Amino acid sequence: MNKNAANAGSGATPAGRPARLSLADWMPKIVMAPTVIAAIVCIYGYMIWTAVLSFTNSRMLPTYKFVGFDQYERLFMNDRWMVALSNLGIFGGLFILICLFLGVMLAIFLDQKIRAEGAIRTIYLYPMAISFIVTGTAWKWLLNPTNGIEKMMIELGFEDFRFNWLSDPDMVVYCLVIAAVWQASGFVMALFLAGLRGVDSEMIKAAQLDGASTITTYRRIILPSLKPVFFSALVILSHIAIKSFDLVAALTNGGPGYSSDLPANFMYAHAFTRSQIGLGAASAMVMLGCVLAILIPYLYSELRGERHE
Amino acid sequence: MSNVAKRQTSTLDKVLRIALYVCLFGMAAVYLAPFLVMLLTSLKDVEEIRSGTLLSLPSSLNFDAWSKAWSGACTGSQCEGMAPYFFNSFQIVIPAVAISTLLGALNGYVISHWKFKGSDVFFAALLVGCFIPFQVILLPMARTLGWLGIANTTTGLVMVHVVYGVAFTTLFFRNFYQSIPVELVKAARLDGAGFFTIFYRIILPVSTPIIVVTVIWQFTQIWNDFLFGVAFSGFDTQPVTVALNNLVNTSFGGKEYNVDMAAAIIAALPTLVVYILAGKYFVRGLTAGAVKG
Amino acid sequence: MASLTIDNVKKRYGQTEILKGINISIEAGEFLILVGPSGCGKSTLMNSIAGLEDVSEGRILIGDNDVTYASPKDRDIAMVFQSYALYPNMTVAENISFGLEMRKVPKEEREAEVERVAEMLQIGHLLKRKPAQLSGGQRQRVAMGRALARRPKMYLFDEPLSNLDAKLRVEMRTEIKKLHQKLGTTIVYVTHDQIEAMTLADRIAVMKDGEVQQLGTPQEIYDNPTNLFVAGFMGSPAMNFIPAKVVEQNGSYALELQAATPTVVPFPKPDSLKAHVGKEILLGLRPEMITEPQPHKEGKEFVVTADIDVEVTEPMGADTMVLTRIQSAEVNCRCNPAYPARAGEAIAMMFDTSKAVAFDKDNGQRIDN
Repeated sequence: MNKNAANAGSGATPAGRPARLSLADWMPKIVMAPTVIAAIVCIYGYMIWTAVLSFTNSRMLPTYKFVGFDQYERLFMNDRWMVALSNLGIFGGLFILICLFLGVMLAIFLDQKIRAEGAIRTIYLYPMAISFIVTGTAWKWLLNPTNGIEKMMIELGFEDFRFNWLSDPDMVVYCLVIAAVWQASGFVMALFLAGLRGVDSEMIKAAQLDGASTITTYRRIILPSLKPVFFSALVILSHIAIKSFDLVAALTNGGPGYSSDLPANFMYAHAFTRSQIGLGAASAMVMLGCVLAILIPYLYSELRGERHE
Repeated sequence: MSNVAKRQTSTLDKVLRIALYVCLFGMAAVYLAPFLVMLLTSLKDVEEIRSGTLLSLPSSLNFDAWSKAWSGACTGSQCEGMAPYFFNSFQIVIPAVAISTLLGALNGYVISHWKFKGSDVFFAALLVGCFIPFQVILLPMARTLGWLGIANTTTGLVMVHVVYGVAFTTLFFRNFYQSIPVELVKAARLDGAGFFTIFYRIILPVSTPIIVVTVIWQFTQIWNDFLFGVAFSGFDTQPVTVALNNLVNTSFGGKEYNVDMAAAIIAALPTLVVYILAGKYFVRGLTAGAVKG
Repeated sequence: MASLTIDNVKKRYGQTEILKGINISIEAGEFLILVGPSGCGKSTLMNSIAGLEDVSEGRILIGDNDVTYASPKDRDIAMVFQSYALYPNMTVAENISFGLEMRKVPKEEREAEVERVAEMLQIGHLLKRKPAQLSGGQRQRVAMGRALARRPKMYLFDEPLSNLDAKLRVEMRTEIKKLHQKLGTTIVYVTHDQIEAMTLADRIAVMKDGEVQQLGTPQEIYDNPTNLFVAGFMGSPAMNFIPAKVVEQNGSYALELQAATPTVVPFPKPDSLKAHVGKEILLGLRPEMITEPQPHKEGKEFVVTADIDVEVTEPMGADTMVLTRIQSAEVNCRCNPAYPARAGEAIAMMFDTSKAVAFDKDNGQRIDN
């Protein structure tokens, strides 16, 4: 049987390689095809489509009357959008910083051969398994200006305690930060704990033999070697921040007024409920720009790093 | 090494150690508190909520709020509770997880063991798909679903979740299969096995850990999704997250926080159960996308 | 069994050429070894023979069949990998019979074949185990068993012993040699260990930068290397390359080297040196040809005794390597351990140039062929 097959090979044109038409050789490509098509259409095609829409005056339905950068001009003249952008700045900045700080701290603390480490880790991380909608619902009740934390503190004897951020347009964005940190900081902890466990133990022994204290070892040796983890955490957290939509929907619904809107909510509201498809598309493109600005350097360094291995 | 361990028993060390535990357990309490409050609130009646505080215990176990949340609470115009939407979510999640996991496994297998011209470039392009803000595809996808006649249907939602979940599942499987030596596939090819035989007989039997990770990840992601649910579902195909949001934001008469909390716990329960049963794999999935290799 | 012909095979990845026209042909039953430094293309060539990689140009024939474009499963080749590549989810018996199962051999025949191979390799007691439960040496045997079970036309071994410890490696080397003698199979074997190459091969192909530098029997390669690379690659310690000036002496030609004092040594093919009179060339001399003065060789042709300055001595048990320096080149001499060479002192050495070779200093090619 082998002889036949081999002869079939030699029967090919001597000049070049024979066209391999057997199904087996095409199998990998056939298998990948649905994903390739889906990715080209549903990721890149739709991105371009949205970009096109952002240059039209589409309102309730897509139309293809091009108006240049008008929608972007309108966008940046729109007070609600500017509030959403500045909210994203405050929310994103604080959310990332606090998550990183808490995450690193808890990871280092947990790395000290703690008894019941598994249980504690499980508790820190469980919010990550929950939907942002549930988180929002829970914190909406906790931060309730009359019945929530405020009432509890008054009952505990702090008569003058006031906590009404949820109804204060200037403070409501910090409520988003609190809820989001509660949900995601455990995840950062898990990332760093995994990183800490991956640090070469011989390097730590060497540092101890060199006379470094525990704190110095962490500061000078271990944490610097976790730079890639910092980088990953930073990218993932900023990604969560930019995409945040459900948390706002459940916790504040953008209110009071539109003081706690984020760009994702702005986009959804204009594209789907306020019949401003052109404006919504423009805001989506700005969001994409923000993500790419963070993502491209990250992917670049990741892929380059892989080539060095 | 034992000498080092013994030396660490000075008084200062002991104090620091106690402070460390206080800090860790204190933080654990902070993380647990919201869930505890939800649970306590869901077991009180409205009167008790008004008179008590967040952490005050209910005078008696009262499951009225739970039964109302499950089958009687109003979500928008309908008052059937969370139950129908809870099952809607399962109808979306189960096929979406199954299809995206299978596709991811096959894609990962091709990308790591049957490379062809352009497969690496495609993988990089797909990675971008993991990260784009979905707002950028919402409008075209809504149009496409309309054209295909599956707008507001479960099928449409399943399709959307598969399309945007495949990037992650492919990443997971690719990273895992990358660690399977290429010689294994070469040996099987010389032994006469073809593409699917190798996948089925050699690769799949060693894939259990990554399948578990992927299924859990996809289950959590799709169950917890709100954006696609709110944008692409109809009244009777809403997933549980959308129903919960509607329930909480429906304001007929007085606010029933106990029902809200019971409904929230119901919505969170499946993913929490998965997390508690298979937390190890859940964490692995979370970190797999971030810390590669 | 089948012969193997590799006819002007080229392999390109984009602009870079990995194989630059390989020509090798061996008879049925021959044991061919491919050696060379990493990146020389030997693994690519191996994969091309197996059909795991396509070639860009040229032909590969197994027996009389052109298999250049045949798929791996149709070439009837078995391969033993460096990492063994045992299927982790299958038992040893399943691993061995998998290839037969894929070729739709009936169950009873498969079982009989597993039995036969297991007995031949003495792995009968391991048949029900999974690869993870085996030691390195046992995995190696199973990998060989898997290859043997199909009785293919040809075996490929890709550095099969390099993951074993030194002692086991020597054992398995002998075992492979015995198997080859018993079964008379055609084998292509890749290694970077030149001792393996010398001991196992019927013929050796030394490769570098995608080209075959020399193809020949182990002894040919050892005694008669075509260039500096081959000469330096085979043999341990490597051949000495001693800078020497070509001088005219009594109407013939000889070489002058700077030992402790300038010393003139004769050369087996003096006429080949004629074109290089007055120039410096490299004299290739194996370490065992520079020894302590041996009375029975005294006064023979091509034997000269001269003093050298000892830099380092390295006792190896059976011999002691004495290191000296001639101009800038390090020179190894293989001496009797009893010979009192001491670092920093000068001592007499006997240079036997009867098997010496000479290389052009600039292009590294032999000048006495």
